[in-house]
Amino acid sequence: MEEVSTHMTKRFSGLVAMGAAGLLAVTAGVPALAQDQTSIEMIAAQYTDEMQPYFDDLAARFMEENPDVDVTVQVVNWNDIDQVVTTRIATGEPPDIANLNYFAAFAADDLLYTAEEIVDEATLADLIQGFRDNSKFEGTEFAVPDLASDRLFFYNTAILEAAGVEPPATWSEVKAVCQAILDTQPGVVPLALPLGPEEAQAEFLIWAGGNGGQYFDGSDWVVNSAENLETLNYLQELVDMGCTQPNPGSFNRTEGAFQLFGEGIVGMLNGAIFLPGELENTYQSDVEWGVVPFPAADGKESITLGVQDYFFGFKNEDGSNQEAIQRFLSFLFIPDNYAAFLEAAGGFLPATVSAGESMSNDPFLAPFIEVLPSAIFYPSDQAAWGSVQGAIQDGIGAAFVPGADKQAILDEINAVGGE
Amino acid sequence: MTEARIAQEQEPPERRPQPAPRRRRLPDLGPLPWIGPALLLIFAVVLWPAFEMLRTSLSEISASGLSKGFTGLTNFERLFADPDLVGILTRTLTWVVIVVTITILTSLALASLLNAAFPGRRLVRWALIVPWAASVVMTATIWRWMLDGFYGIINRILLDLGFLQGPINDWLGNPSTSFIWLMFVAIFVSLPFTTYVLLAGLQSIPKDIYEAGKVDGATGWQSYIALTLPLLRPALLVAAIINMINVFNSFPVIWAMTKGGPGSLTDTTTTHMYKLAFQLLDVGQSAAMAVVNFTVILAFVLLYLRVVDWRRA
Repeated sequence: MEEVSTHMTKRFSGLVAMGAAGLLAVTAGVPALAQDQTSIEMIAAQYTDEMQPYFDDLAARFMEENPDVDVTVQVVNWNDIDQVVTTRIATGEPPDIANLNYFAAFAADDLLYTAEEIVDEATLADLIQGFRDNSKFEGTEFAVPDLASDRLFFYNTAILEAAGVEPPATWSEVKAVCQAILDTQPGVVPLALPLGPEEAQAEFLIWAGGNGGQYFDGSDWVVNSAENLETLNYLQELVDMGCTQPNPGSFNRTEGAFQLFGEGIVGMLNGAIFLPGELENTYQSDVEWGVVPFPAADGKESITLGVQDYFFGFKNEDGSNQEAIQRFLSFLFIPDNYAAFLEAAGGFLPATVSAGESMSNDPFLAPFIEVLPSAIFYPSDQAAWGSVQGAIQDGIGAAFVPGADKQAILDEINAVGGE
Repeated sequence: MTEARIAQEQEPPERRPQPAPRRRRLPDLGPLPWIGPALLLIFAVVLWPAFEMLRTSLSEISASGLSKGFTGLTNFERLFADPDLVGILTRTLTWVVIVVTITILTSLALASLLNAAFPGRRLVRWALIVPWAASVVMTATIWRWMLDGFYGIINRILLDLGFLQGPINDWLGNPSTSFIWLMFVAIFVSLPFTTYVLLAGLQSIPKDIYEAGKVDGATGWQSYIALTLPLLRPALLVAAIINMINVFNSFPVIWAMTKGGPGSLTDTTTTHMYKLAFQLLDVGQSAAMAVVNFTVILAFVLLYLRVVDWRRA
């Protein structure tokens, strides 16, 4: 159905464009495309199935106001979008705008416009400063944040009540809660630990961050730090005591953790801001849940993982697409259009001050906004981040196979950053 | 070409009045219009991509997909420096040898069965096509669901029969059991094709030689060893080589079931190549892996042909 409606919308907007062009031709008495017509193309991420309809509508309205620009937006799912973008670059035909979760590799190859060149001044000034700081490569802003998310520790209220325990705040409390659940409710997995390839880079960082660990310390890659090794050892203890599902390295977020939590089989998990929406819509779950800040190692500070995604613009040979890109992205950030973008994307934190203010009263978002100051981020300003992220997704799970050399696995991942 | 030339030279001179030099040059190029399209096709879809692969393996490709030019053997050096590579190569060898051997042996039995007359043979022959006709990705995905630790039907059955105690037996999560299951599914999807190749081979064996065997007093087993197997040799050879190449390059079974994980512990060189390009964003190193793959499979096939002494076939 989604497919059909998307095509319909596309065809419809095409018809509108054709109709408008025809009208213009008749009224002006000149061929419609005689003036300088710019075509720009955007590859956008599929946060939800609502994205393509949203962008088709946005592009149609934009083209109505800006008849000299043709905009096509192609929404691509998260599994394929890296390949789509890199293939286009490799064949010398990059899109004009892309929407991805990393940008630095492209900036490093000098392919991108700066942030000032892709949105107007007012829009740039409205973006939240912290997110802007994460959009820099070697000191220059090459991307603008499109939205962000952060995470809290979700728990199943009924399971914790039946075990007679409060949600944990520290690593040792996590163990105690696990034990209490194991003792009272056989068949329940106390904690879901999805370290499979889908989202291992996030799952591991949020645990490691609670122990003061990071991936990059500002000048060097530190995936193989002592803190991170301690984190792996602690997680191994959880696995060994039966606190988690048996093989975290092959267990993924969507099919595994979210699904089982939705069915009430999992007691606790790391959940992003969009989890409640997923539970309701995708899994039709009526599980009652609560959230607390993420448990930290004993004596360490609790953190959350902030994730922001980006819009960025690719330079073409003569720079002729820059102005159209700037107009279109600024159009997207007009408050009403941006609010619709956030709504289509489904439950993320806004990247602009104005949208943030209007959303801060939302009782659901409040706890997520509250922990945002303690957020750590991916080192997405590093050109190697895309590769390191892939190495973590692919490699960290192997650390939980019996007899694995955890230090060697971390060393191997760390080496990817140094290449 | 030689025959054509001879044929033309043997033609009576009065029907070919052209001067001698032209007559000698023309026949050489004569077949070109006929084989030209085929040559062009081979060039476009075989040689050129192979050349591009080699060129990419010697280039530095940045994470954003941009070529930074010639880099010599750096990609190969990095590929061979990877500590996981030895495990992956060993696993690939195990994968090919075990899957192909068991496939051939099982198919031999199945083909003999299908060659014999029994009621319902037509139905069984049709049924065997099913795993072949179904998409491999679909088959592998269904097996993944059946083997799921939490919901899988296989655990359910084993639990109901009392073979399992706990509810969770994570077949695909644990690399020691998942690789066996991967091989099982790979064999399952390879059987139909192999069986049909061998069945065709069996049907081409003339029946009278068995009668001759019987007259000479051969038992069923003796005539199988002495008559059937030697005459099946060409079919076996074809089945083995096609299977080797297919199984070596097999991607969907592993990708749909474990994605080569955890880590690289169920990767073969084919899935490793994919991961290098699309997870580690290192297209150059991935191309180097592709070149190695190409060499390995070529070596495999040549070695096999030498061992079985194919000219005898």
